[in-house]
Amino acid sequence: MVPALSQEAELGGCFVADLMSDVLAFAREGSLLLTGLTTDQTIRTAAVKRLTAVVVIQGKQIGSDMIEAARDEGIPIYRTPLSKYEACGLLMQAGLRPYRKGVTCLQ
Amino acid sequence: MEPTPLCHHEFPILGRAYFLGGRASTSVKRVLGEVGVDPEVIQRICVACYEAEMNVVLHARSGHITLEVWDDRVEVAVVDQGPGIENITLALQPGWSSASEEARSLGFGAGMGLPNIRAQADDMQLDSVKGQGATMHLVFRREAAADE
Repeated sequence: MVPALSQEAELGGCFVADLMSDVLAFAREGSLLLTGLTTDQTIRTAAVKRLTAVVVIQGKQIGSDMIEAARDEGIPIYRTPLSKYEACGLLMQAGLRPYRKGVTCLQ
Repeated sequence: MEPTPLCHHEFPILGRAYFLGGRASTSVKRVLGEVGVDPEVIQRICVACYEAEMNVVLHARSGHITLEVWDDRVEVAVVDQGPGIENITLALQPGWSSASEEARSLGFGAGMGLPNIRAQADDMQLDSVKGQGATMHLVFRREAAADE
């Protein structure tokens, strides 16, 4: 939806939440955020926590506000038709481990 | 001579302007970066400011964030005009919330805001006059925290 500026972004882990207070409290810098929340608050939260990218699950509609915020903040957005559970499973299977340094971005 | 901070900024917050929520905190982040505050400290300040800003947006009519950068610390004040906090002890408990469905639909309002802020700041003082508003004073030491 909003492309990454660089293909070389490194993922330091993954965090999954719809509650932005949880992201603010617990997510680590450099993580991927999987979420069902499609407001510009998602992007502002990701920017404050310096997350690498946002993945919107369940093929949800992404409004122009959110896209504009993502461009402003330089946060790429991806969208998947998968459920949160399945998306988590695939990422984990593909080797994206929670909060371990040195895990590189998946293709 | 009175000591003066390295810089002093004020950022307005508009109550109920959901789509603007987070803008003031984004400005705080930019200013702190320009002054050369340690990135880890900036992140703690921004998390606290963002939660506090959302509290103002969700509960109050208006408010502002005041930011003062000193040699050894950053002081943040978040002041609002609104209903105030009826019971501060209760409000500080994780999970306690008086937020609307609308707040929850934005990803906030689960009662984690004030506990999150308290966890980020080195010192937090919260005062409120019912029917008038709330005032929060936060202090962040500029050396990076040893524990995470």
